[in-house]
Amino acid sequence: MKILKLLLISFFTMGLIACKKDVKTTDSSKDSLTARKDSAVVPEVYKEYYGIYTGEFAGEGRIYDNETDEYYNGTEYKKISLKISKITKDSVYGQSIVDGNQRPFRGIFNENTKTFVLDEPGNDKTDGRFEVKLTRDSLTGNWNAFNKSSVKAPSKSLKLIKKTFVYNPNFMLDENSDLIDWENPKKFVEKYIDEETGKAENYTASKNRIASDAVFKLNASKQKLTEKDLKNLRKLDMEIIKNSVFARHGYSFKKATYRNFFEQTDWYIPVSNNVDNDLSPMEKENVALLNRFINYAEDKYDSFGR
Amino acid sequence: MYFAKKNTSLFFKILLIIGFGYFFWLMLTITMEYIPFNTEVSFLMIKQTEVRQRPEYLSFFYVHVYTSIFVLLFGFLAILRKDFGLKNFHRNAGKIYIFLILLLAAPSGIYMGIFANGGLYSKISFVILGCLWWLSTFKAYHLARQKKFKAHKQWMWRSFALTVSAITLRMWKVIIVYLFHPNPMDVYQIISWLGWIPNFILIEYLITKKLI
Repeated sequence: MKILKLLLISFFTMGLIACKKDVKTTDSSKDSLTARKDSAVVPEVYKEYYGIYTGEFAGEGRIYDNETDEYYNGTEYKKISLKISKITKDSVYGQSIVDGNQRPFRGIFNENTKTFVLDEPGNDKTDGRFEVKLTRDSLTGNWNAFNKSSVKAPSKSLKLIKKTFVYNPNFMLDENSDLIDWENPKKFVEKYIDEETGKAENYTASKNRIASDAVFKLNASKQKLTEKDLKNLRKLDMEIIKNSVFARHGYSFKKATYRNFFEQTDWYIPVSNNVDNDLSPMEKENVALLNRFINYAEDKYDSFGR
Repeated sequence: MYFAKKNTSLFFKILLIIGFGYFFWLMLTITMEYIPFNTEVSFLMIKQTEVRQRPEYLSFFYVHVYTSIFVLLFGFLAILRKDFGLKNFHRNAGKIYIFLILLLAAPSGIYMGIFANGGLYSKISFVILGCLWWLSTFKAYHLARQKKFKAHKQWMWRSFALTVSAITLRMWKVIIVYLFHPNPMDVYQIISWLGWIPNFILIEYLITKKLI
């Protein structure tokens, strides 16, 4: 780890010194603005590789099962986006976004093998190194955590495709989606008589919330919502309608509930961990209205009161 | 046999008093949410359309919220029919009950019923409830003035049964949501009728059987 850091620092300083030298010579010889600008900025290369690569991030590790309250060994699948924003002769800059966690990375690009080696800063326990190969429009490879004991799946594979993020207010959940929220089961302890022993036994049943088809009918990015539209909706419906706005703007959800719903679509590309400033005025008003009704449902739906 | 009967009757009376005490306490905690005055608190969170479009809505709403808790309290104390060592307590508690309903709680309730959640069926239910509440209370008052106390007692039980619908409506809501988890307005449409009709039927039955 330390050696890695040292290597990176030396790479960086070498690059810096090289830059500095150029600046010094042009300063002394020419006064032209364009000449100075050219040599002060490091030239960018391979601009055609810039963009957002999104796809599957899978790894073997311990997974928590909500229903049995246990951990088991299995393969964990997530959706990840790698944003490559700048490539120079010596470095690559960009960001990774997964589970609402946005981390910058810096690395190198090997022209011959067309592979990127990208490192996240290392000051977060989930940071690691990406080693991915570029084949036409896809990036495939793997990721390894710097700190193997602090993540559930320290080794993961990546299969990403370059996608253009475009905001489209028409995007909705697909009508064939699974509308069950598996992440928040409600446990019920139910009694039954065991046929063999004749004793009363307990078992815990899990009930999950399910959304209705209202989520296919209301679009908070296209129509101004009224109280009347929302009054008879369940809390989960309203949460989905509200979060669809954020999904359309490329928000990377921290809650697995919403990731599960929107990753079922083919248009959802997580590109940012904060899109609040991108919302249109109408979307902001709709979100405020939805929040009010969601809070009311949270507090009042099953309690003594109206 | 008589002793056993009297004991069970006393037992049920105590049970009802304790039950009422518990639910009165719950209603009090709900009323407290509306102190201090706030245009967006609790139930008003889903009535902002009415609050913004009708300048008088909040006045009617808060009159109803602030008076109804006293209506429950004084109605309960009056119907116990005891003076608690104070002169004319039953009469004075009754006067407060009648005054608050006829002038404040019932008219404001009818107004809010017109804008009730849950569509036309809920609105109809609450407006009918409000009118029956006003009329039964007025009739009971009038009969007391005429010193026709047996009839006064029957009409006051009708009035109080409708007063208590505030509690029974909320009880049904908890039960129905727990059992069936319907959509919120679907629940509301059901409880807007279920909240008072069984109360009404029960009292009519007891009056017919000459138990009141």
